[in-house]
Amino acid sequence: MNKPVPDLSIVVPSYNEAANICPLVEAVRDALPGLDWELVLVDDGSTDDTGRQMAIAASSDPRIHVITLARNFGQTSAMQAGFDYARGDVVVSMDGDLQNDPADIPRLLAKLDDGFDLVVGYRVARQDRLVTRKIPSWIANRIIARITGVSIRDNGCSLKAYRRSILERFVLYSDMHRFIPAMAVAAAGARVAEIPVRHHPRVAGESKYGLSRIWKVLSDLLAIKMISSFRSSPLVMFGWAASVSAVLGIGFALLTLVSVPGGFRSGMAYAYVFPSIVIVLFTSAFYMLLLGLIGEVAIRSDPTSGPIGVLPPGDEA
Amino acid sequence: MSEQAGGRPTAVDVSVIVSVTERPVRLAELYREYSAALTSSGRQFEFIFVVEPWHKGSLEGLRALADQGDPIRIVESRHVIGESAMLKLAATQAQGRTLVLLPAYYRVVASAIPEIVAAVEGGADLANCRRWPRRDSWFNRIQTRVLHSAVTGLPRTQVRDVGSGVRAMRPEVLRDLPLYGDFFRFLPVLALRDGYSVVEVDAEQHPLDTALRIYPPGVYMRRAIDVFGLFFLSRFTYKPLRFFGLVGTLLSGIGALILMVMFVQRLGGRGLADRPLLLLGVLIFTLGVQAIALGLIGEIIVHFNAPGHRSYRVATATLETAGEPEAGRADQEADAG
Repeated sequence: MNKPVPDLSIVVPSYNEAANICPLVEAVRDALPGLDWELVLVDDGSTDDTGRQMAIAASSDPRIHVITLARNFGQTSAMQAGFDYARGDVVVSMDGDLQNDPADIPRLLAKLDDGFDLVVGYRVARQDRLVTRKIPSWIANRIIARITGVSIRDNGCSLKAYRRSILERFVLYSDMHRFIPAMAVAAAGARVAEIPVRHHPRVAGESKYGLSRIWKVLSDLLAIKMISSFRSSPLVMFGWAASVSAVLGIGFALLTLVSVPGGFRSGMAYAYVFPSIVIVLFTSAFYMLLLGLIGEVAIRSDPTSGPIGVLPPGDEA
Repeated sequence: MSEQAGGRPTAVDVSVIVSVTERPVRLAELYREYSAALTSSGRQFEFIFVVEPWHKGSLEGLRALADQGDPIRIVESRHVIGESAMLKLAATQAQGRTLVLLPAYYRVVASAIPEIVAAVEGGADLANCRRWPRRDSWFNRIQTRVLHSAVTGLPRTQVRDVGSGVRAMRPEVLRDLPLYGDFFRFLPVLALRDGYSVVEVDAEQHPLDTALRIYPPGVYMRRAIDVFGLFFLSRFTYKPLRFFGLVGTLLSGIGALILMVMFVQRLGGRGLADRPLLLLGVLIFTLGVQAIALGLIGEIIVHFNAPGHRSYRVATATLETAGEPEAGRADQEADAG
């Protein structure tokens, strides 16, 4: 039997953060006196002592709950698992490495009370490496803002506060936790605010980030952009690509007529290079149109689906 | 679908599912041999034979045993639905606390069955039989080794004998795993991917499993495609653009490089119309763009199916889920970031 539903749920996905669990729990307790909260710790398939530390914490305080995933599924999935189990009307997410400060949570809640649906923290005096963390993050934030149209200073900061109604409108998958503000705006027209939050140097455990995430972010971003821009009609997107290919094909056809003596009828061996390119480009245009039609089928085959993993209205839990 | 039932034990410990899809041996003899091992282990059991239409002729002996009260059920499909679907079907009818999957031919000695059942009863989610020591021909072993090498290149595949086909598991493993096409062959790998605990139990190879097996070329091609499909689904089910985007970016990058070099040469006065390299550049560039476009189609499909799926599987939780009740599927590559 579950306990009474609290007002606030704090979701903390963790992977191999054994040394940080107890200090994190203490920090949350100290930061939220007088508030009705629960702490949802998600063990993302840790191979160290994280699971046991979480169990110890949960046994000492009924407000602490532990969700153990069957293996390491990644931060996005772990966060979604926490959201699925969180029961509060307001949900706060944060990292389990103690680089976020739970003392900032009351300020996030206060901002939420000002009429916002999502409050995003941005790290001031960020305590990370310059080359592998800060610079890629700075570039990524600008690209994300430019492409999604949702300008957030620090998409990588996990410390965020959400109204439950917003979280129920989309589902996180892949590595989409980085795009939560953009998804919240696209899915539910969320009102988003930002506030500065503290950032502490990591005192225990190891960072799980590397430069490999650049490719992941870029490909996810391209997907988000394409789908948010052309979700109602993929045929339009692929139609544009087909048009470009066809126009290039026409260009090469004209070039053939102009530059090759005798045009297509010259019979000269080299005269077949341009015509072959014309064929390739027109074939590609045709192929793009067919892909656009397949995209239409993919969307229309599920007429209840909304944009970007959005649950249909009235289907929220 | 038709079903014939023999005597059913009241409390079933083990349901043995035999899929009769290819080269079945005398099934009554196979039943006698394997059931004797389970009987001697003291477990209550049932056998469920799921049979494709063209193997109905091999059921006479089984029907006689079922009529005599042996715990045999025969489920016959009226049309070919594939072995994965047949296993799923059998799982819905199985009553045992542990399921054992057996091919309709001999793979391992019968005494191995109680051992893999014991492994599941001891806490594993799935126990896979590893044929060891092998008795069969060197050619068979090479085939197994090649398949093993291909599969172990995939993430989370600590399985040494993917092709044994003899496995014991908790019923929910077979029920919950997405099984279709020929992926039943990779059940231990799929289980590992979803975070189930998988163990391997060495089992002596059956004396009748030593025949030289040479398959038609199409079979080898299908296995290769299966492994490639498994690789793709292991890593990119929820992020197809990462795969197609990488392939497409590489191809279009090479194409663009060729075209740029030729453009510079053209500025230097060299003609283009007599150079097939131009065609190659355009071809590769176009192919790259098409690969990226395919990835985007994949992303569209994933996006519009996301609300109905969860990309994680919960092992234990001290809370009941407050949100989406379905928290089962796990198709996503682990990413510690």
